[in-house]
Amino acid sequence: MHKRSSIYANLSGLFAMIFMGFPVYWMVTTSFKNRQDVLSTEPTILPRSFTFENYQNAFSREGFYTSLRNSLIVVLVTVAISLFLATFASVAIARTKFTGKRSFISALLIVQMLPLSALIIPLFLLLTRLQLTNTIGGLALTYVAFILPFTIWTLRGFLANIPTDIEEAALVDGCTRVQAYRHVLLPLMAPGLVATAIFAFIQAWNEFLLAYIIMQSQENLTLPVWLAGFTTRTGTDWGPLMAASTVTAIPVVIFFSLIQKRIATGVTAGAVKG
Amino acid sequence: MSSATKLRPGSKKNFWPYLLITPALAVILLILGFPVFRLITLSFQQFGLTEIVSGIPTWVGFENFQALLKDPEFWTVLRRTFIFTFAMVAASIVIGAWLAHLMLRMNTVIRWLLNTTLILVWAIPALVGISIWKWMFSFEFSIITSTINRLGFDFAQRNWFTNTFSGFSIIGGVVVWGAIPFITISIYAALTQVPKELLEAAAIDGANSRQIFRSVILPILLPIYVILISLSIIWDFQVFTQIWVLLDNRPASEYYTMAIYAFEKSFGLSEYGMGAAIALLMIFSLLGVTWFYIKKMVQIGDNNA
Repeated sequence: MHKRSSIYANLSGLFAMIFMGFPVYWMVTTSFKNRQDVLSTEPTILPRSFTFENYQNAFSREGFYTSLRNSLIVVLVTVAISLFLATFASVAIARTKFTGKRSFISALLIVQMLPLSALIIPLFLLLTRLQLTNTIGGLALTYVAFILPFTIWTLRGFLANIPTDIEEAALVDGCTRVQAYRHVLLPLMAPGLVATAIFAFIQAWNEFLLAYIIMQSQENLTLPVWLAGFTTRTGTDWGPLMAASTVTAIPVVIFFSLIQKRIATGVTAGAVKG
Repeated sequence: MSSATKLRPGSKKNFWPYLLITPALAVILLILGFPVFRLITLSFQQFGLTEIVSGIPTWVGFENFQALLKDPEFWTVLRRTFIFTFAMVAASIVIGAWLAHLMLRMNTVIRWLLNTTLILVWAIPALVGISIWKWMFSFEFSIITSTINRLGFDFAQRNWFTNTFSGFSIIGGVVVWGAIPFITISIYAALTQVPKELLEAAAIDGANSRQIFRSVILPILLPIYVILISLSIIWDFQVFTQIWVLLDNRPASEYYTMAIYAFEKSFGLSEYGMGAAIALLMIFSLLGVTWFYIKKMVQIGDNNA
C-alpha cells in the first residue's frame, strides 16, 4: 500500500508530529525549569534553565509516597486477581460450548459500554453498605470487576489464534483436561497473558473517577487523585505538577511501548476477520 | 475434524465451562450487575441523605423521569452533550483518517517520527494529559496565550474558560488529542493489511485509483471505521474527568454534560434517585446509538470456538 512519498504528506507529517508532541515536550521541559522560568509571563519555547528542584519538591510534597504506594498495591492486586479469573473464563469461552455462552459474551461487551459516571452512583451506595468505601480492598475489587470483561475478551482473542490440535493431542495421549490446559495451553498463552497484564496495569494505574469517589481520606489517595489535588483554591504549583506528571507517565510509557503493536493489531484483527 | 473432536469439552451437559466462568461472573455480577439493577430501582425512588441513613427508600414511580423531561435544563444538557460528542468524534475520526492515509505517502524517517510521537501521546495517562493542557492554557503563564500575543494579537492574561465555546474547545482538544493516536494507528494498520495482489489485480483489470478505492479498499476499511466510530461515541459521550479537572472540580452549570449533570445531582445535591434517572437515560441513548456495534461484536465472539 505504500506509495512514493510526497512533499505534502511529509510536511503534514512533520506538522502533526509537532502539534501532537508539543504538550509532552512542554511537560518535560517545564519539569526541569527553575521557578522563575516557570512563572514567567513571557514563556519561551526553549528552556532557559535546568534544575531538579521541581522533582525534589514533588517528592517531598505531602502524600507522594503514600499515594505511590497505594497505587502500586491497588494495581498489583487488581492485575493478579483479574488475570487469574480471566484465564479460566477465557478458556471457557474460546474452547468450550455451553448453554448461555452467548448471553455471557453479550454481558461482557455491554458491561464495558456502561458509562462509569452512571454506574458510580449505585456503586457508591453499594460500597457504603458493604463498608468498603475508603479501603484499598474495596477499590481493588471494583477495579477487578471493571477490568475483567476487557481482559477476558482480550485473552479470548489470543486463545482463538492458538490451534486446538495440540491440546487435543495431549488429551489423546491420556492427559486429563486439567493437565492439558495447565501444561499445554497455559505456556502457549504466556505472551497473551503478559500483554493483557500490562494493559490491565495501565488501565488501573490511570484510573481517576472511581478512586476519586471511593478513596476519600488523604492517606488513601492514588497517584492520579493526588495529581488532581495540586490545584487548590490558592493556585497551582505548576513546576512540581509537571514533574509529578512526568513521573506518573513514565511507567505507562515504558509498558505501553512494549505492547502497543499487539493492541493496534488486536483491535482491528477482529474486524478484518469478522 | 478428527476423532479428537469428541474429546473436546463440547457436550452441553458438561459442567466444566460453568466452573471456569463462575468466579469471574460472581465478581462482575456483584460489582457491575447489581449496580445496574440498583440504578434502575433507584431511578424510581426518592433517595437522599435521609434514605441513606434510614435505609428505607420512598417509591415515587415515574416522578423522577417526569420532572426531568419537564425541566428545560435537562434538554439543554442533553443537546449540549450530543453536540459536544458529535464534534469530538468527527474531529478525531477525520484527523485520524487523514493522518493515516497520509502516512502511506510519507518517507520512512518522517513516518517513524510521527508514529513514535503518536505512541508517546497514546501512552500518556489521561490525568497527566489534562494537567499539561491545564498548564498550557493557564491564566497567568500560558504558553498558548503568550504565543498568540507574540503573533500580534492582544489577549493579555486570559481565562479561557469564561467563554464556554473556548472552554469546550480546550476540553474537546484534550479528548481529541488523546484519541488521535489510537485512531490513526488502527486505520494505518488496516491500510497496510490490504492485500497487494488485490490492488494489482484491480489495476491490471483497468480500474482507476478512485475505482480501486471504492471497490477494494473501502470494503476492507469500512468495518474498522464502524468500530472506531462506535468506540469514539462510547468514550466521548461519557467524558467526565476532562471537564471536572480542567474546571477545578466545580464546573459551572454551563459546562454540564449528561455525565456531570448526573454526578452533580447525586453527589452534589444528594438526590440520588434523580441522578440515577439521568444516568439511565444516558445509558439508553448510548445503547441506541451503538446497537449495531454490539450486535456485530457478539457475533464475532460467538462464531469462534
